[in-house]
Amino acid sequence: MAPPAGRRIGDDFVDDSDSDVSITGLEDEPSRTKSKGKGKAIDRNKKDKGKAKAKEQPYAWEASYTRSWETVQEDEAGRLEGAVQDLIARGRRRRLLAPAAAIRRTIIRHLVLVLDLSSAMMDRDMRPTRFDLMLQYAREFVTEWFDQNPLGQIGVVGMRGGLGERIGEMSGNPQDVLKAISERHKLEPNGEPSLQNAIEMARSSMSHLPTHSSREITIIFGSLTTCDPGNIHDTLDECLKDRIRISIVALAAEMKICRDLCEKTGGQFGVAMNEGHFKDLLFELIPPPAQRAVARAGGPGANPAADLMIMGFPMRLPDTSPPSLCVCHSQMKSEGFLCPRCLAKVCDVPTDCDICGLMIVSSPHLARSYHHLFPVKPYAAVMSLEDTPDPSKRCHGCSVAFRDTPSTMFGAAGEGMSPLGRYRCPECHNDFCTDCDVFVHDVVHCCPGCGK
Amino acid sequence: MDKPSHLSVILDLSPTQWALCAQSANPTGITLQTFLSQLLAFLNAHIACKDENTLAVFGAFPGQSGMLYSSTGEITSARTESTDANTYRPFRTLDSTLMTLIAERLESYDSTTEEAPIGLVGCLTKALCYINRAITTSSSSVTEIEGAVASVDPRILVLSVSPDQSSTYIPIMNSIFSAQKLKVTIDVCKIFGAENVFLQQAAHLTGGAYVQVERTDALLQYMMMSFLPPPAIRQLISVPTQDRVDFRAACFCHKRIVEIGFVCSVCLSIFCQPVPVCSTCRTKFPIKTLQRLRDARPLAAAAPPTKPLAPKNGTATPARPG
Repeated sequence: MAPPAGRRIGDDFVDDSDSDVSITGLEDEPSRTKSKGKGKAIDRNKKDKGKAKAKEQPYAWEASYTRSWETVQEDEAGRLEGAVQDLIARGRRRRLLAPAAAIRRTIIRHLVLVLDLSSAMMDRDMRPTRFDLMLQYAREFVTEWFDQNPLGQIGVVGMRGGLGERIGEMSGNPQDVLKAISERHKLEPNGEPSLQNAIEMARSSMSHLPTHSSREITIIFGSLTTCDPGNIHDTLDECLKDRIRISIVALAAEMKICRDLCEKTGGQFGVAMNEGHFKDLLFELIPPPAQRAVARAGGPGANPAADLMIMGFPMRLPDTSPPSLCVCHSQMKSEGFLCPRCLAKVCDVPTDCDICGLMIVSSPHLARSYHHLFPVKPYAAVMSLEDTPDPSKRCHGCSVAFRDTPSTMFGAAGEGMSPLGRYRCPECHNDFCTDCDVFVHDVVHCCPGCGK
Repeated sequence: MDKPSHLSVILDLSPTQWALCAQSANPTGITLQTFLSQLLAFLNAHIACKDENTLAVFGAFPGQSGMLYSSTGEITSARTESTDANTYRPFRTLDSTLMTLIAERLESYDSTTEEAPIGLVGCLTKALCYINRAITTSSSSVTEIEGAVASVDPRILVLSVSPDQSSTYIPIMNSIFSAQKLKVTIDVCKIFGAENVFLQQAAHLTGGAYVQVERTDALLQYMMMSFLPPPAIRQLISVPTQDRVDFRAACFCHKRIVEIGFVCSVCLSIFCQPVPVCSTCRTKFPIKTLQRLRDARPLAAAAPPTKPLAPKNGTATPARPG
């Protein structure tokens, strides 16, 4: 399908990585034009817009048009590049404006990823198919998830043919999980999905977990039906009792039961509008969630969500040591780690020892979680340079030159955007550019100026 | 393999450590002047290797850090030097800019006051910010398929003379993890002083080389042999790797190295014995767990206590601030 000419501009902003819901003004345009060619997309977009504006208007079509094309202005040279950069930067920065208050996050997480393998996943409204896209994003999700939650574990369950199907056992090793979802031909979509069966299966695999760890289910759901053997509301009540948090990313449309599952268990629900939005919705589930207040109200004084865990810190065997069999794969290897309690040899950490069940980690794994505990303070947007006696000419992080004149973008001063493209650390009072601001808070977690 | 490579060099320019290094007799020390002249030869070799190679130099000074040179022209020397017909122009710009800025920075220090800790973390994070920008701008201008390999092959070389500072553990670990994410290799060359545990971990986790220089008069040879080839080529020429990296943790209560530790689920503090209250986040632990763990412990307690750790040796997990 050749895109209509009107879509061009919108497309430029909405590239995969930066397409956000947050650029709402622009999102309207591509989705509206796209829907000309696709009957199905209409419901989905309306549904989603209706959701966002539910508080003000009951229906999306009662909302006034957002004249998105008016927010884009040409610069002196008649180019749009500056305006586009601004919009992208604004979308990225909005993500950073999350509350900075101290919240207790769950560090030890257990997640069951439920994949819809029903025939609805062969739909081609997301390229190449919903199924292929889901597998691709699921792989990226798993990698990123383990990067941010090194002490967590993921299990994988599939829904097809009216049954729940265990695809990957609960594991703390990203390679195991990735291997489970790597073989496409074993996951070929087929039949009806069953939410209840899948959730029950996920629930049973998490029933033995200690109370200090979180139990989560993330469902990628492409179907509009579910084929259940019993009452799914009973399952929901059981999940509530077990403190399981359910989050769903729907690919088709909103279903009442899906929203109920998420809202009652404290999870997140979202309907993906397009490929980029799908990824955003999924990746929003990666940072560790705040621990729920319910858990704290449980007992006065003692916190049931806190516990002391026993962990082993193994020595790494050098590559030159004599080879021996490992307990996890029964292969001859010279490198590996020795469990400090039973001296069994395992290939990789973090893991639970196959012999004595001790949790084996290495100190960098613990360190990887520290940034959730000691986050970088958000930088303040610099509105004008009048009260700064000697402003630096270049970004303190990457030494890129700041622009001299404030941006003339309509409304650029609002929403925490600096018209000068400068963001200042509240501790060391150094200025940073937009790129470094995002990079420091998302990736490095350490301010280059004050080193904290 | 034919990709251009980017090299960010981090110079540890602590005046005290360099003075100690120059006086040291065993192993034979090296003066800052000699070091800089060898370094310039190495840097020139890097930009001469390939026309598209880029270079950035960061200096870690006591309590400060800053960019000293960048081949994309962010930092320029104030002086306009006279052209020399016998020198390749980029070499000359590099040499004069670097030397002028280092001299300026070092002269401004007051030798009477006590030296602040070195700004290594600032340098590492700045180098990462710089590489991040280089990657994003180059990939957007090329406009290839998303996820395509970045057109630059970045790495960081740390030339260190200062010992570990335990307070920088978390920032350094954070930098290491972001380097892993950006696929940046961190190489470490320890010119003077004891082994640096944090930098060893940095090299190990990012797949770089950690080289402890034994003969400082051959420094240039060490650098040329180990750090000049980009990581892609290093697989073919065996570069010294660090085999023995200590990843064991030290407990927060007695600073003992533990093999089996007790970890608070809220803040991940490590203890060598079951404690009723976490000393870091003041969380109270349920009595049931304490009893269960005490019962399970005799096995571990029967083992002879590990010797307390000397502070200089550096610990894998020193106490955190706050």
